[in-house]
Amino acid sequence: MNKVVTIHLRGAAFQLEEAGYDALRAYLDGAARRLEGNPDKDEIIADIEQAIADKCRAVLGAYKNVVVAAEITQIIEEMGPVQDAAAEGEERPAGEAAGAAAAGPAACAAGSGAAGAEAGTPPRVRRLYKLHEGAMLAGVCNGLAAYFGIDPTIVRIAFVLVTFFWGFGILLYLILAVILPSPATTAEKSAAYGIPATAQEFIRRARDGYYEGMRTWGDRRAHREWRRRFKHEMKGWGYRLKREVQETADRAQQQWHQHWQPPAWTPPAWTPPPGPPFLLLITLPFVALARGLLAVFAFFAVISLLATHTVFGVAPPAGMPLWAALILLLVIISIISWPLKVLRHAGYWHAGRGAYFVPPIFWFVDTVVAIGCAVLAIWCINRYVPHAHEALQAVPAVLHNLVDTVKQWWAGH
Amino acid sequence: MGVNEKFNPIRKGLLEFLVLKIIAADKVYAADILKQLRATEFATQEGTLYPLLSKMRREKLLDYEWKESEAGPPRKYYELTAKGREQLRETTEYWQKISGTVKDLGRAPAG
Repeated sequence: MNKVVTIHLRGAAFQLEEAGYDALRAYLDGAARRLEGNPDKDEIIADIEQAIADKCRAVLGAYKNVVVAAEITQIIEEMGPVQDAAAEGEERPAGEAAGAAAAGPAACAAGSGAAGAEAGTPPRVRRLYKLHEGAMLAGVCNGLAAYFGIDPTIVRIAFVLVTFFWGFGILLYLILAVILPSPATTAEKSAAYGIPATAQEFIRRARDGYYEGMRTWGDRRAHREWRRRFKHEMKGWGYRLKREVQETADRAQQQWHQHWQPPAWTPPAWTPPPGPPFLLLITLPFVALARGLLAVFAFFAVISLLATHTVFGVAPPAGMPLWAALILLLVIISIISWPLKVLRHAGYWHAGRGAYFVPPIFWFVDTVVAIGCAVLAIWCINRYVPHAHEALQAVPAVLHNLVDTVKQWWAGH
Repeated sequence: MGVNEKFNPIRKGLLEFLVLKIIAADKVYAADILKQLRATEFATQEGTLYPLLSKMRREKLLDYEWKESEAGPPRKYYELTAKGREQLRETTEYWQKISGTVKDLGRAPAG
């Protein structure tokens, strides 16, 4: 006596022995994984399900309404492992396929058959791409977010913060916008997301399960059974997805620490002067203010350069391309900001009594003042200087133009 | 590795050609194609054929239409497009050249 699972294949219900159900599930999952990135994936899977349904129908009769596990194994054996013809076709032109020796390993694997779906799973590749869907500018943040499996908004905010405090965010963005390729094929697109298998599978399961639920709507018992199983399955996939995202994040963090952690910095043997550090501490907010103003200045200088090709009327050296002028501008700005930075760090030094410890409260006040005055300044300018208001409204268009210009320049070389 | 396995790549490469030929003869659905191939050296499984058919359709070599069948759900009947017929013609020509070469090469020069 064995438990029976009811499934539907292309609109027809079948009763399978539980072991058979598991084998079939593994086979179809393996097929879906191998067809990852194939534009016709859903259609091929549908065809395969149709063929399985036909084969199941053939083994059923008037007094036999359950497909036993051995029959499923037999059917899977007959179907053979799913091989993505398109993946091979991309490597060699279709016309030559007749004479050329077509990929051997896949053909050899054909003999193993059965439900050994796990064995042939293609390795997951992950590459950094620009992703244009849902992008705000050139898709760099979007691509980074996909690569690390996080929300693009977080990456965007990080870029804005980096730009604000260190000034190289824009530069970094431009460089990435130029050097990162855009995914051309679906396979590359799924490589942009690193963890496609689980996530996409999750979505597919959810959709399939949902259809099955709709179909069993009339039959209350079947529907209850579906709901129980669906919940259970989705929960399992949810855990797997969560774990995988977690692992990816951990790995990324680990790599980051390995490669980017600065060597432990030992402060030189220097005792802070006995004089009152208060003066310096009081100046900190002013330094922050100055930094904020400088950031605003930098912002408008960049906008001005992009919009009029001059920095507030001062033209860059003749013959210098726009991108080089932009880099030069950013370098100049960071040179100007050096003394302020030094002053700020000196303040921290004092606050930490020589241990170079930044008390969070100073850091916090510093940051809040800087952001606050920057926002205030932008708001004021936007409000009271009509010219600036227009310039701000033109920012997105200008950035688009810039990205296009850089791209054209890149393509031209 | 037996001789049989050695020819695996050849069979695999020729499969598209044979599928073109089968579909050119008559409108068929996938199970028909498999049945015709089963009797030959080119016995193929669904797992290989379906992805191949969808690839060929993407390359605009063939197209299909849904047709009701007496028993069971509607089926996809495949037929060649103009491009598919053109490719079949080219491949046939090429195949004749190859098989001629295979036959003639290594023989004692005639005459």
